[in-house]
Order: sequence, then C-alpha cells, then structure tokens
Amino acid sequence: MSTLIIQSLINGVLMGGIYALYSAGFSLIFGVMGVVNIAHGDLLMLGAFLTYWMFVGLGLDPFLTLPFSLLGLFALGYLMQRLAIKRVVGAPPIMSYILTFGMHLMISNLALVAWTADPRTVTTAYSGAHLAFWGLTVPWIKLITFLISLGVVGALYLLLHHSQMGRAIQATSQDREMARLSGIKVDRVYALTFGLGAAITGLAGSLVVSFRDVDPGMGLPYTIIAFCVVVLGGMGYMPGALIGGLILGVVGSVCTMIFTPGWSIAITFFLLYLMLLWRPAGIMGKGIVE
Amino acid sequence: MKFRRAGIILLTLALALTLGLAAPGMAAQEFTFGCAVPLSGLFGKDGQLVRDAYTFWMETINARGGIAGKYKVRIIFYDDQSDPQTSAKLVERLVTQDKVDLLLGGFGSSQVMAASAAAERHKFPYLSGGASSNKLYERGARYYFGTLGKATEEVRGCVDVFTSVTPRPKTVAIVGANIPFTAESCKGYKLYAEKYGFKVVHYELFPISLKDYNTMLLKAKAKKPDVLLVGSHLAVAMRVVKAMKEIDFNPKGVAFSYGPTVPAFVQGLKADANYVFAASEWTPNLPYKGPVFGSARQFNQAYRQRFRRSPDYVEAASTAAAVVQQVAMEQLGLKPRVTAADRVRLMEKLHQIDLMTFYGPIHFGKSGANREHPPVAVQVQNGQLINVYPAKWAEKPPIYPTPAWNKR
Repeated sequence: MSTLIIQSLINGVLMGGIYALYSAGFSLIFGVMGVVNIAHGDLLMLGAFLTYWMFVGLGLDPFLTLPFSLLGLFALGYLMQRLAIKRVVGAPPIMSYILTFGMHLMISNLALVAWTADPRTVTTAYSGAHLAFWGLTVPWIKLITFLISLGVVGALYLLLHHSQMGRAIQATSQDREMARLSGIKVDRVYALTFGLGAAITGLAGSLVVSFRDVDPGMGLPYTIIAFCVVVLGGMGYMPGALIGGLILGVVGSVCTMIFTPGWSIAITFFLLYLMLLWRPAGIMGKGIVE
Repeated sequence: MKFRRAGIILLTLALALTLGLAAPGMAAQEFTFGCAVPLSGLFGKDGQLVRDAYTFWMETINARGGIAGKYKVRIIFYDDQSDPQTSAKLVERLVTQDKVDLLLGGFGSSQVMAASAAAERHKFPYLSGGASSNKLYERGARYYFGTLGKATEEVRGCVDVFTSVTPRPKTVAIVGANIPFTAESCKGYKLYAEKYGFKVVHYELFPISLKDYNTMLLKAKAKKPDVLLVGSHLAVAMRVVKAMKEIDFNPKGVAFSYGPTVPAFVQGLKADANYVFAASEWTPNLPYKGPVFGSARQFNQAYRQRFRRSPDYVEAASTAAAVVQQVAMEQLGLKPRVTAADRVRLMEKLHQIDLMTFYGPIHFGKSGANREHPPVAVQVQNGQLINVYPAKWAEKPPIYPTPAWNKR
C-alpha cells in the first residue's frame, strides 16, 4: 500500500512540474501587465501542433523541436502584444478578458479549420519508457519535462531579479508611468514579456505532445488549470507557479489514489475556493491581488 | 449618397425575397435532410466519421437518381461542438429555420439524447447510428430509433472474446469515463463478466476532464487483474494506452468499448496499439446483405474506394440508419416536401419495419432499439483490425496473453 502512495506522490510531483511549466507564462504575463490571458492554452496548443507537424512531416524528434516552438511562439507573442494586447494594458480587466477570449476563439477555430478536430498523438521509440526501481516507475519524458520546468521557473526568477531587462520588467509592472519617465521603453518591455510568456507556454506545449494527445480544442482546459495553479501559488509570483503546480499535482494524484478521480477534481476546486477566500495572494502571500 | 445606400438595401431585400420564394419551388424535387453532429471538441473525430457515412449514402443514392430513383438528397450538416445543448439548438434550427424534410442522427449519447428530445417535440423521426446509451430508450420516446445495440449489449464482444481464450482469465478490472455511453459500457462489462464467472476486482469511473491517467490506472494495476476493460471513446482510449505503458501495466488482455476501430488510434499509437481488443457491432466479413449497398463486403469495398479506408462500425450503423429511413420513405411513397402527417406515418412505419441490410437485421419494434446483433470483437494485430470473435467469423484467432511492454 505504501508503495502505491509513494508512486502516486511521484506521479503528482511530475504532473505538478508540468502544470508549473505551462502556468509560468500565464503568471508572468499577469504579473507584469495585469492581463489575464484566456488564449493562454491556445498558445500551448500551437506549440504542441508545431511539434506534432515537425514530428510527422520532418521526422524530427519532439525534443529537437523545442527551439522552434520557443522562437516561433516568442515571435507570435511579441506580435500579439504589439498588434492587440497593447490596447488593453491598463484598461479595466474585463477588457483584457474580452480581447483574449476573442483571441482564444479565433486561434482555436482557425486551428480547427486547418487541422480538423482529430485527437492526435505522437509515439516515439522512447514513448512510455521509464525508470523502474523498488517497484516504482518514473516515466523518462515526464521526468525530463519536470526538470525543464524547474530550469525554466528558475531562469525566469533570475531574469526578473538579476538582470537589466528583468529590472525594467519589474519597474514597469510596479509603476508604468514612473518606468516610462525613467527612460524605459514600456511598450517594448510589454512586448518582450508577452513574447517570453508565450515562448515558455509554447515550449510546454511541445513537451505535452509526448505524453498526451493534442487537438485544436485542447487549449481552454489548460487555461483553467493554469489559472488554478496561479491562484494557488500567487498571481505574478514566479516560484508560485511551481508551488501551485506541485500542490495541484500532488493533491490531484493522492486524492485519486485514496478516494476516486472524481473526488480529486472536486477537492482541487474546493482548495481553490478556500484559497480565493482566505489567501487571495497565494499560499505564500506574495501574489498580486486585484 | 443616402439614396444609393437605400437602393442597395432595397435591392438586396428584393433579391433575398426572390430567392426565398423561389427556393421551395426549385427544391421540390429533392429531399433536404438536416444533421447536427460533433465535428469539433471531444467527439469531433468520431462525429466526422458519421458525416462521412451520410455523405457516402447521399452520393450513392444521388448517383442512382435519388430516393425512389427520382428525388435527389441534400444534407445540411451543423457542428454541435460535442455539446448536448448546442446539438438540441441546432436541431431546432434545422426544423424551424432551415425547414428540412427529415433529420439524420448525430453522434454521442449525450448529444443525441438532447437532440432527439428536440426532434421528438417537433415530431421528427430521429434515427441514430452513433449513440447507444440505454437511457435513450427509457424515455418513452416515439420518434427515436437507434441501429446500434444498447450500450450494455454493444460492449459484450469485449467480454465474450475472453471466454474463448486460454488460459481463461479469472479476474477483470473495469475503468471508464463517467459519461453516459462509457459509464454504461462499464455496467455492461460488469454484467457479462459476472455472468461468465470472471471476478471483478476493480471498478472505477473517472471524470472525462481527468488530466493524469497514471494514478487512476495504478489503482487497477495494484489489483493485478488478468484483463482490463475500459469504457472509452477515442481520446480516452489513446490516453489509457499511453499511461499503461508509462506505469508498466501488463494485464493479459485489454479491451476498449470504442476507440481502436477509429483509424486515428492505430495511426497515432503505432506499435503501441497492437494487441488491444475492441467491441464491434459490425465487421466487413459478416454475412449480411441488403438493399442499396448489397453485401457487407461490397459496402466495405465501395467505402474504401471513396475514403481510402475501411468503415468503422459506427459508420456502418449510421449508413444503415439512413438506409432504413430511406426504405421506409420509399415504401410509403413519400415525396418532397415531407409534411407533418408524412412524418407521423414514417414514425409508425419505422416501428414496424423488419429489414435485412448490409449492416445486419434492423427491427426497431416498440422501443426504437434495434434487435440485438451477435457480439463481435476485433483486435489490433500488426497495425490491422482483425475480427477475432466469434470463432465462426473470425479472420484470425485472438492473440492472448498480450506480451508485456518490455517484451514487444
């Protein structure tokens, strides 16, 4: 029995890492610009499809496609910000909901027209390969994804706190007008932030392909999870994505093991409700409360 | 400037009116069918198969001049996005705005449940080949008919096939997504497993939104079942196979209520798709024969020519639903446009009809549920769907036990 609990903890931690990876960009964009990006999951979907098509069309290993989805989604995010999101930064939050919800509908429906609704999956030589010890299994792909996730969150943290660009981003998120007066090109900072957020999200999408099916409608559920993760960990607080992801992953997995999968989802959302009630700034209290 | 704009508006209106008035007159020589079916969302892929099936039926019929040899068929397809409410709304729209003559059924028990309730309100017969929840027949509906067996029966092949293998399995674990068809599949599994003396050591339904299948399946693995039976549609089936490999879960056999017969399953999972079993209601080598398409084998060949792939049993069942409605229409001598009285007669006729088709016998009787078909099971062997049960129609014997993941 204890092996089962340990195994479900491992599964939960690995899932948590994956949750963290695709929530980090969501948190970053919210933290800096105050924009709740409902099209977040669709960026993930685009990253996933980029990898899928490179795998199917060019026979490229999913891990080798990571630089392409990073760069591709960075460019897309940069443009999205420059062409559209820019207009709602600083406006009431409802404006950004409406705009990004519209983007969600556009992206997912265009993808639907282009690629049809087929759930697709990628099977490589190492799909399902795992480390096995003491009766436990750790799938390699998820382990690597987890490590990448740690790396990405760590890098983002360093970038925000220990670099010129990071300081500019922080300054802009704290006081836009003062930042502008101090000579920071606010529009450029926003575009870079959005690009960066999109890039990590695309990366997450590329990694998800290896163990999960992809389809054009997959985005919205991921946005919802990202939202939960970020509420748990604190909006805009980078390590919060990791903390929130781990809580969500572990609670989900252990509840599935002890109770039922249905209860695990109910308990997860109950947790979210309690957090919003008692600790709206996240479990560490370091998030932004609007 | 203002005059010009007003002029344009008037012209447009006039044009619209002329077209609107002309349309019924011009369309009098054709039957318009309406169909709300998932083309996107969770059941998008499955729903597209249903659309292909109706399209194939329409093309075949129209190439022969149409229904009764003279009335061409036109079908309006709408995407219900795998959402029951949307499906019902679209049926309302087909009936009240598009004023279709008749309907064709959609896909997925939840969608069909809602859509057929709307059809019932408007007294439109609704024949489906893509839904099999038992609940569809427990509503006292008079206008609903299904060519597939009831869900609890439809999956019987999945369990029956394991009575034919050696060593005979002793224990089974059952998991399934908690939505109508797959939940009832699990009920059916349990019913037949117990009937054949297989011990059910694990039984669990999970929400369709579940993200991590590893832990859910780990619980089943811990019970060491000989056989895993899964209540699934395509996406769930694919996720289960992936997770089984990740957690190194090696039951001697695994069967799915639906999924492996959809071509995308083998395309996506490649070699990992091998050895899985699936229930089927129909395979091309069954000895059935009837109007429009001839034998099961001929239907399969013609379908392959059109779509470069063999039809899935849901496509066969959907085509059969269109065929039986067509035959009933021809027997009644219906002409476009179909009137409300015609639809009542058609409904009554469908309750009585007893027809042999390429898909097998169709007899709805009072309840609207088709007469039971003998259970069939297929297995993926070397990337091909092979009919493995019952023995008299089997193309090859089932491969059992399934080799462990590390021995493939």
